[in-house]
Amino acid sequence: MTSAENRCSLCGESAAVRLTDPERRLCAGHFIEDVETRVLVAMEREQMIAPGDRVAVGLSGGKDSTALLLLLHRFLPTLGATLVAATVDEGIAGYREETLRAAESLTKELGIEHVIVTFADLFGDDLDRLLVGRETQGCTVCGVLRRRALAEAVKRTGATKLATGHNLDDEAQSVLMNILRGDLPRLVSDTSTGQPGHFVPRIKPLAVLSEKEIVTYLLLRGYYRDLPECPYAVTALRSEVRTMLAGLEHRHPGTMLRLMRFRDGARGSAGPAATGVLGTCRICGELTSGEVCQVCRLLGRGG
Amino acid sequence: MQIILPDRSVRTLSCTSAPIEDILLELGINPTTVIVVMNGRIVPEDVTATEGDELRIVRFSHGG
Repeated sequence: MTSAENRCSLCGESAAVRLTDPERRLCAGHFIEDVETRVLVAMEREQMIAPGDRVAVGLSGGKDSTALLLLLHRFLPTLGATLVAATVDEGIAGYREETLRAAESLTKELGIEHVIVTFADLFGDDLDRLLVGRETQGCTVCGVLRRRALAEAVKRTGATKLATGHNLDDEAQSVLMNILRGDLPRLVSDTSTGQPGHFVPRIKPLAVLSEKEIVTYLLLRGYYRDLPECPYAVTALRSEVRTMLAGLEHRHPGTMLRLMRFRDGARGSAGPAATGVLGTCRICGELTSGEVCQVCRLLGRGG
Repeated sequence: MQIILPDRSVRTLSCTSAPIEDILLELGINPTTVIVVMNGRIVPEDVTATEGDELRIVRFSHGG
C-alpha cells in the first residue's frame, strides 16, 4: 500500500494505524477516539464502576498505568466516581526513581491525589536488599510483596475499587503461563469481586487494548516516555512467554483474544471449588490458601 | 532510505521501495513489538517505504 492510499476509513486523512475485527484504518484523532470508546464500552459492559465509587489507580508511572490514569481521569466524573492514584515504591535502583518521578509529575499535572507506599516502610527493606542471593526469583518475590503493598496503599486511600493497567498482552501472557504451570486455580480465579475485609474489587479497563495500541495512544497524545525496563524482568518466565506470544500474534492475528475467550470459558465451566478455599494467615491475618501466607514466608516471619 | 533502529543506530537501505513489514522482518524485528514512524508520522506496517523516506523504529520497553 502506498502512502497516498493509506487513508483513515472515517475522514480520509493520513492513517496512523490499521486495526482488524472490523478491518479499518484510522488517523490519529479517530484512533484516540476509538481507543477511548472501546475502554468506556468495556467498563460499562462489565459494570466496572458504580456511582459513588472511589477508584484507586495502581500507578507505577510506566506506560500502561499512565494511559489508565489519563482515561479514568476523563471518564470517572461522567460515571459519578472519583479518582485517586496509589504507587508502590519497591526500591529498585536505576529503575524506580525515574518511573516514580513520572508518576508524581502526571498526578500533579492532572490534579489527582497520590498515595505512595514503600517496601522499606511495609517490609523493613527495599526489594534490591530483599533479593540478595535470590535475584533470579525477582519477579516472583516482587509480585507477592507488591500485591500486598498495593492492597495496603488502597486501604490508605479509602478506595472502593482498584484499577490496574493490565493490557491484553499481559492478560494473555498470564493465561498461557498458568497453563504452562498447570495452575488451574489461578487460571480461573477472578479478583473482580474482591474479598470484604481483605481487598477491594479489582478492575482492568485496559484489558481490551494491546500493548502496541496503548503505546500508540500515548505517543499520539504526547505522553509516551521511554522509561527503563525493570532489571529483574529478564529473569522471568513471562519474558519467554511474551516473545512466544508476540510471534504467534504476528503469524496468527487474534491469538491473544482467543486465549482470553478460553480463560473466560474455563472460568464459566469451573465450579467455585476450582479456585480453592482461602483461610487466613496465622501470622498476619491476611488471606492465604495455606497456614502461613506467601508474604510472611518470603519475609521469614514466624520461623 | 534511512532507518533509525531502537538503539538509535542508523542503517541505510539501498532498495528503492519495500513494505515496512518486510523491512522489519528482514531486520529480525517482530512488527507487533514496535511502532514505526515514517517521516515524522506513525504509519501502519503494510505501507510501502520508498527512496528518501526516513523510518524510526520505536520499541516499547515492557512493564508498567
